[in-house]
Amino acid sequence: MDELILASGECDLTVTAVCAPEDVTELFEFREAVFSILGFPITRTVFLIVLAGVIAIALLYFGLRKRSTQPGKFQLSIESLMLFVRDEVAVGIIGPTGIRYFPYLMALFIFILIGNIFEITPFVNFPITSRMAIPLFLSLLTWVIFVVAGFKKNGISYLTGIIWPPGVPVFLKPLVGLIEFFSTFLVRPFSLAVRLFANLVAGHVMLTLLLLTAFISIVSIGEIGLAKGAFGIAWWALALAIFGFEMIVILLQAYIFTLLSAVYIDTSVNVEH
Amino acid sequence: MEELKGAISLIGYGLAAIGPGVGIGIIAGNAVQAMARQPEAAGMVRTTMFLGIAFTEALALIGFVLFFLA
Repeated sequence: MDELILASGECDLTVTAVCAPEDVTELFEFREAVFSILGFPITRTVFLIVLAGVIAIALLYFGLRKRSTQPGKFQLSIESLMLFVRDEVAVGIIGPTGIRYFPYLMALFIFILIGNIFEITPFVNFPITSRMAIPLFLSLLTWVIFVVAGFKKNGISYLTGIIWPPGVPVFLKPLVGLIEFFSTFLVRPFSLAVRLFANLVAGHVMLTLLLLTAFISIVSIGEIGLAKGAFGIAWWALALAIFGFEMIVILLQAYIFTLLSAVYIDTSVNVEH
Repeated sequence: MEELKGAISLIGYGLAAIGPGVGIGIIAGNAVQAMARQPEAAGMVRTTMFLGIAFTEALALIGFVLFFLA
């Protein structure tokens, strides 16, 4: 047990349990394919993305197929999820016209939620939203929607309202306009993507480290003695507590991504107030 | 004397997290106060609190990304 679990540099998998990646580019690119279908290489991440999409469609389809007036537990839970997104997020934030954006927000919420739940699913333990491509794509989708909605609703005055804001002293207008421009068109999608990505990466790394430390301590209990090995059980208990914490993070991040998408759409549709 | 190891970007991220940490504390504290004074407005306060936290957090997130880039 001289070696740390995350030995960097020279790494021998027979001595250490896990090798630290050489750099962080692993988070931003796909690894080599596991198998390929019709020339499309399928990695673990791609497989899980497709799986998340299939699960989302199946949940919504089978949950809302009957539309019984005396709903069972399954239909009730799907319906209350939809009602939550519709009343609290779509209509609650954007207003009555927000019902137009409800399908997009619902799809966003359920896809991110399922992608996040993979983090604490046993034997998967890998959130697809911890690869930068997915949050970035989703936030660019939101970006396109709120920019198009703003131009469609207000025409060119949407852009001039941002770079030449009303109600600001004239000598401050260029400065405020510049800041507003950057924060609206660059910082918004960027922070939206990075928030989801960073939270999920942090949770994933934390769980991996705790569980591996526990596993190695318990497995090598004959080598390091009972007193040190007992620490493994403490790490394991801590890891289980972190699982509970991660459940909250998973729900909260899916909710915040959807909520902020709704707020961005609201700020470009309802500029008046 | 031992050599000092590690990346200075780690310290940079720590510094970037100070301000948002204080800010999120202020937001959450005031939100709790508002909810205690006016429990019937709790739903609205909660939504606004999440929004405020999300905007404040952006600075820490930029620090997080710079830590990766450095």
